Amino acid sequence: MTWIFVLLLVTGVKVPDAEQIVGQPQGPVVSGPMLDQQTNEIAGLLRCPVCQGMSVADSPSEMAVNMKHQVRELIARGYTREQILRYFERSYGQFVLLKPKFQGVNTLVWILPILALGVGIFAIFSMMTKGGDGQPVDQPSVDEDPYLAEVRKLTGKQS
Amino acid sequence: MTSSLGRLLILLSLLVSTTGAVLGYAAGWKKSADGLKWARRFAFTFSLLMIGATLVMEYALISHDFSVGYVAQVGSRDVPLWVTLVSLWSSLEGSILFWGFILAAYIAGATWLTRNEHIEYMPYAIGTWLFSGSFFSFLIAGPASPFQTVANPPMDGPGPNPLLQNHVLMAIHPPFLYLGYVGMTIPFGFATAALLRGRLGQSFLRPLRNSLLLPWIFLTIAIMLGGWWAYEVLGWGGYWAWDPVENASLLPWLTATAALHSALVMERRGSLKGWTVTLVQASFLLTILGTFMTRSGVFNSVHSFTQSSIGPTILVFLAVILIGSVTLLALRIDSLESDSRFEGPLSREGFFLINNLLFVLFTFTVLIGTVFPLVVEALKGKQMSVGRPYFDSMVVPIGAVLLFILGVGPALPWGRASKEQAKRALLPPLIGATIVAGIGLALGVRNPWTIITLAFGGYAAQVTLGQMWLPVVQRIRRGDSAGHAIIDSQLVRGRRRFGSYLIHAGAVIVIVAIAVSSTMRTQQEVRLNRGESATVGGYTFTFTGTDVKQEPHRTSTLAHFDVTKNGRQVAQLAPRMNQYAAMRDPLGTPDVHTTLKGDIYLSIMNIEGDAVGVNVILTPMVGWIWWAVLLMGAGGIVALIPGSRAVALQARSESPVIQGDEVGAN
Amino acid sequence: MNRVVLIAGILITVALVLVLSAGLGKDPQHIESPLIGKQAPDFALQAVGTHETIDLAKFRGKPLVVNFWATWCRPCYEEHPVLVSNAQMMQGQVQFLGVVFQDKEEKIQGFLNERGSAYPTLVDDAGKTAIAYGVGGVPETFFLNKDGKVVAKFEGPIDPDSLQQNIRKAMTQ
Repeated sequence: MTWIFVLLLVTGVKVPDAEQIVGQPQGPVVSGPMLDQQTNEIAGLLRCPVCQGMSVADSPSEMAVNMKHQVRELIARGYTREQILRYFERSYGQFVLLKPKFQGVNTLVWILPILALGVGIFAIFSMMTKGGDGQPVDQPSVDEDPYLAEVRKLTGKQS
Repeated sequence: MTSSLGRLLILLSLLVSTTGAVLGYAAGWKKSADGLKWARRFAFTFSLLMIGATLVMEYALISHDFSVGYVAQVGSRDVPLWVTLVSLWSSLEGSILFWGFILAAYIAGATWLTRNEHIEYMPYAIGTWLFSGSFFSFLIAGPASPFQTVANPPMDGPGPNPLLQNHVLMAIHPPFLYLGYVGMTIPFGFATAALLRGRLGQSFLRPLRNSLLLPWIFLTIAIMLGGWWAYEVLGWGGYWAWDPVENASLLPWLTATAALHSALVMERRGSLKGWTVTLVQASFLLTILGTFMTRSGVFNSVHSFTQSSIGPTILVFLAVILIGSVTLLALRIDSLESDSRFEGPLSREGFFLINNLLFVLFTFTVLIGTVFPLVVEALKGKQMSVGRPYFDSMVVPIGAVLLFILGVGPALPWGRASKEQAKRALLPPLIGATIVAGIGLALGVRNPWTIITLAFGGYAAQVTLGQMWLPVVQRIRRGDSAGHAIIDSQLVRGRRRFGSYLIHAGAVIVIVAIAVSSTMRTQQEVRLNRGESATVGGYTFTFTGTDVKQEPHRTSTLAHFDVTKNGRQVAQLAPRMNQYAAMRDPLGTPDVHTTLKGDIYLSIMNIEGDAVGVNVILTPMVGWIWWAVLLMGAGGIVALIPGSRAVALQARSESPVIQGDEVGAN
Repeated sequence: MNRVVLIAGILITVALVLVLSAGLGKDPQHIESPLIGKQAPDFALQAVGTHETIDLAKFRGKPLVVNFWATWCRPCYEEHPVLVSNAQMMQGQVQFLGVVFQDKEEKIQGFLNERGSAYPTLVDDAGKTAIAYGVGGVPETFFLNKDGKVVAKFEGPIDPDSLQQNIRKAMTQ
């Protein structure tokens, strides 16, 4: 692929670069299987804008493939996850982040389930300590099958 | 003519169901036996009409009658017969008719099975069922009518969406899904009846529970089929994407599972009635919400039907039944409860309560995640996404705790457990936990959540197997022969118990398999020219060439691969790129080699001449998921098979005990 | 009357119904552009045919219309004549640029030969420019003011009125 780079350099072609938007790479340069793994990881956090909800890592659409290549290239150059996510967020907005940022109103989506857990634990504690005074627990209701009631009486067992 | 017949049948079913609903509620209020008789007649008539309308539509589809609107939309002379039959549910209008069909079948069945019983509840139940029936009749008659007459019928039609013709699962997954979804209407009717009556008697438990269990079985399998379809057909190598419509199918399953557990406590202790009824109501409400999500065009999903005007109509229905249910619950929930007290957290009841809480939390989290983008857009006008990474972070801990409870709960006795009892019940399964976690570590598992899941899974497996075979062990101790013990206690008398533990066994395997298959997956993109090989995860993949298959509706290019390991051939795989006449972009179909250890999965990214780019995905234990869910389904069927009353009584009086302790059978 | 159930139930009902009805009528495929008000990403791409490299920065000082399209996109066929005629009409006042991505040069050339062209059409490299602009589909049209700031984005085939409206925005903002 290097010949393309050379050709582009020679012709003066340049595409909008991450540098314009997130500055210099702040992490180490990466290559090899580590590069593949990190590409999949970060591409998994990005939403393919033309598919219905799929991640860039999973989507076969051309747009997603292009984005994945861009992710790979940025990782290889040493950009960190935050920088790469910020780069895509700049063009597409928070829509493209599959993991909601913990910021502003989005914090609610992370906090609400935890709150619900708290409410639930509180509810359980209050139910468990409500406690009666040891009365028989299973009272057959009025419209129970008479045969069953009879048998119950005969066998002397509950339920 | 056919269209008119269909429209007539639907209009009649609308009339009959609406009248029947009013009649049912009136009969319940007046406690009129005659009213009940008539309500039942209306119920059967409604069913006949709706089933009739569906048969008319299928006839129109098979005979390629393009004067009927829906047939002109999805019919085609070029597709095989099974595709024609299946196109009934391939597009929106037909799918609502299909809903009506399944609902009609359920209502007829439920009305028939309860013909001599529960006369105080049944009018209300029938009224509720027919209320739902009338809504769907209205949809089919009006906003979503498949029976429009086409002025100039075309000679041929476009056929259903090519994506839906790709795999035979398209014939099985939707029916199972509808049988699960729509089936929730029946227990909803029973629960509403109980609320309207202000009481929920012990004898009414059986219909409530069984009418919940049957759709639960279908829904469980349907969700699995959906995942399997995504995995085998879509090519991205995964089985669950937390897509809004996938979530829509999961939500009622979660509350229905909780309701089934809650009903168990209701049966043994008479408590948790309010919880059970609320969970049953929630299950039905969530199916209506699910239908809204799929058909309103509000959610961005691969499954969405095209946008249509029925969204607002369904939303109104949802609002009405929400308000109705909430009001009814608020007014009557207290009158349902009998005196009960909780024996504290270290008891089976306590764990059932925690179980309920966790399932509700799970449901709430998935619901929040799914609708949150809508909330943000409504409030701030900005768009954001809540995708797989969010759900995975939230659900994994919840799932792990659920697995923990699955192990500890059934080990504990009913009622307050003494320290001695607790120790005797809770310590031995630690062996199972250590063994399974140890095997995992030995095989290379390093992810902490996976190891935790393995440990909990091993614990739960030991408890489940122990409890499952407890009655047999005790009989053998008392002198029975092994064969007789097994058949009698598991299949003749203790079917519910045995079935339930089968379900649990399946669930343990599913959770462990999901954990392992998600965290131990290897994925790599490989580019090969003909004759070249690449090695991934110990397997060598050699690209041997391509060939092209021509079919009437698509052209497929197959890429052939030889898969070897240490020189021995393991498999021959041929993933495909399909070009459909009706679509611009080609659609890939992966090829998968499934073994006990795991799957070897190949999916084509691109083919250019003699070079192919493939995605190689190695996923351990993923095949276990499908089979374990089938085990759950089988367990449900075993639990559902009715037994005679005398047998049931005797089974209860012979509850197995653990060495003198009073431990419940269920 | 169980107050807890009633209040919880009402809250859930109201919240759910409000949220869902707010979602109705919105198109879930539409993405708002976060670039509006920000500086447009700079690029220099090759023009189809001449292979001359054209730099975006060169056009500072004049409002700019950047139209992303492709030959495989049906609606692009409809909007092309609108763009061409407007470009001719506003020559000297407003600069038009076309950017094609995910396409083949012969096809693009063929398209332009058939349907005419009044402004440079550039070929995007590996879709990077599209990504930088947050393009989710084609056609999409961006309107830049003379300082190179994005003032508007239009999704879908553009009609003459919207085109004029947005150009006015680009001229005044």
